[in-house]
Amino acid sequence: MLPRYLRNSIKNGGLYLRNNSTVAQTVPQKEPENTQESVPKRSNPLEHPDYFHVHNLFTVKDLFDARVHFGHKEGSLNEYMTPYLYGSRLGHLIFDLDITADHLRKALNFTAHIAYRGGIICFFNRNALNAHLVERTAQECGEYAHTRFWRGGIFTNANHQFGAITRLPDLCIFLNTQNNILSQHTAVRDSAKMLIPTIGIVDSNCNPNLVTYPVPGNDDTPCAIELYCKLFKAAILRGKEERMKLLQES
Amino acid sequence: MRAYLERAKEHDEFMKKQQFEYNIGKRHLANMMGEDPETFTQKDVDRAIEYLFPSGIYDPAARPLMKPPEEVFPARKAAEFDEAGRPHHYLFYTGKPNFFKLLYDAAENIQLLQQFEDKVIRKKATPDPNGKLDLNATFWLTKDQLEQLLVEKLTDLEYDNFKLVMERLVSLPYSYRCKDFIEKFRKSLTSQKFALEIPKPSYDDQGRAFVTTYECLRKKARGDVTIRSPGTGLITINGKDLTYFEDTQSREQVIFPLIFTGLENKVDVECNIEGGGPSGQAGAIRWGIAWGLRSFVDKDMLEAMQVAGLLTRDHRRRERKKPGQPGARKKPTWKRR
Repeated sequence: MLPRYLRNSIKNGGLYLRNNSTVAQTVPQKEPENTQESVPKRSNPLEHPDYFHVHNLFTVKDLFDARVHFGHKEGSLNEYMTPYLYGSRLGHLIFDLDITADHLRKALNFTAHIAYRGGIICFFNRNALNAHLVERTAQECGEYAHTRFWRGGIFTNANHQFGAITRLPDLCIFLNTQNNILSQHTAVRDSAKMLIPTIGIVDSNCNPNLVTYPVPGNDDTPCAIELYCKLFKAAILRGKEERMKLLQES
Repeated sequence: MRAYLERAKEHDEFMKKQQFEYNIGKRHLANMMGEDPETFTQKDVDRAIEYLFPSGIYDPAARPLMKPPEEVFPARKAAEFDEAGRPHHYLFYTGKPNFFKLLYDAAENIQLLQQFEDKVIRKKATPDPNGKLDLNATFWLTKDQLEQLLVEKLTDLEYDNFKLVMERLVSLPYSYRCKDFIEKFRKSLTSQKFALEIPKPSYDDQGRAFVTTYECLRKKARGDVTIRSPGTGLITINGKDLTYFEDTQSREQVIFPLIFTGLENKVDVECNIEGGGPSGQAGAIRWGIAWGLRSFVDKDMLEAMQVAGLLTRDHRRRERKKPGQPGARKKPTWKRR
């Protein structure tokens, strides 16, 4: 079952979010004018399939160059990840980047909408190699990061933990969903408990079940993380820019 | 946010009340001590409290005190989020934003320094010889000091991580470039060694320099030692010469500081000593001579005397006898049956 905005876009004759494959470069130029014609300014952003034009942030080639398609070895496969795989090469699993691009666009679109509505976005990453990059990204786009040891109860017992009634994040972005190679990050479970939507980069050894917007892809390589950070930052900034425009108008 | 504002207001009122009470108490204390309340400082307060409530409790923290409320009640963080509930700090959800921001900054500096080093190597430039970070006179903030600085409680592991990352930063060849950042977390090692003023010698009517050390104490012996500078090595103890002491050990004790500094034939020593036995008296004189010789030696010798233990007072006293046993430690002979 496709989401509503996708079904609409198919009906309209244009595949907004599945236009990637390898010839995606040609499409973005066409789309913006299309959207500008069909959508008058300040229409309800939720009615538009891709209000912030996140589809032109990246192409499948970019994903490939950033080595997003590399999964882990066959033996560590989580069987919930099989639908996202393209195959295996020399014992290593390879993701189908068309599917990844589709999921990533949905995730970016959602991120931009949350940012547009003034939501709190929190980045997570437990890989020490990439932690600094993730924290810097969060700082640059004016959002939040948690790349450290997760003390239990930060979400589920927040008022006690922070000593005051605390507003929790409205979106959690996991740049990797594992705490270590064996266990999942507790925040994934806690977000699900607290009904906080999550976006997670899920590698072939991760469980995507509790993640609202799973994005299958490599979650270890620094250049892949760099790409994700760049994309999410761009999406958030687009959302915030629109929000500023909206606030200035009203 | 509203809940926070209420609590903040409550806290402010409480602090105001405490401040008021402190000021009243200070005035009372000043009147009791017969001093001017307007010029009564915290130092005077401490002195007055020590005088009015003498306490022999071992731990100074447990003795009665009267301090301004800011020192007694720990500092609290200001509001951490705005009206919309958005936290101000981007690491707020970690629970220790200031600490993790510090780690982040350290890592950022490490990256910048590494990039700079790469650039220098690429340009084949030579490093700046003047740029050197001198950390000998300082040490890292202790855990308590760091906690106070960050207003956050830290675990031992977190403190170790802090030290680890800072050491790593300092070990980089161009660490002097982030000197300001590093020195924020270092504290200077105040030199305790010769903090006491070394007295300037006075001159008697014959034009000889002399220094008198009063209160030379060791065990039960007490006395004073006078050292006169151009001299012939004359030692006078209670009007007699070195033979005042019968045993050679005590005599050695007395002349040891003179021999150590090489002044045994260049100064005259005159001492009055009473109480105690020969070893106590010899020890007191030894310390008095060494303490007085500080005025006649140079800095290196002073250092050497410090290392040799000549300037250290021996505070040991006779231990009392315990009931139920023949001596302070001695127990009755133990027999199985």
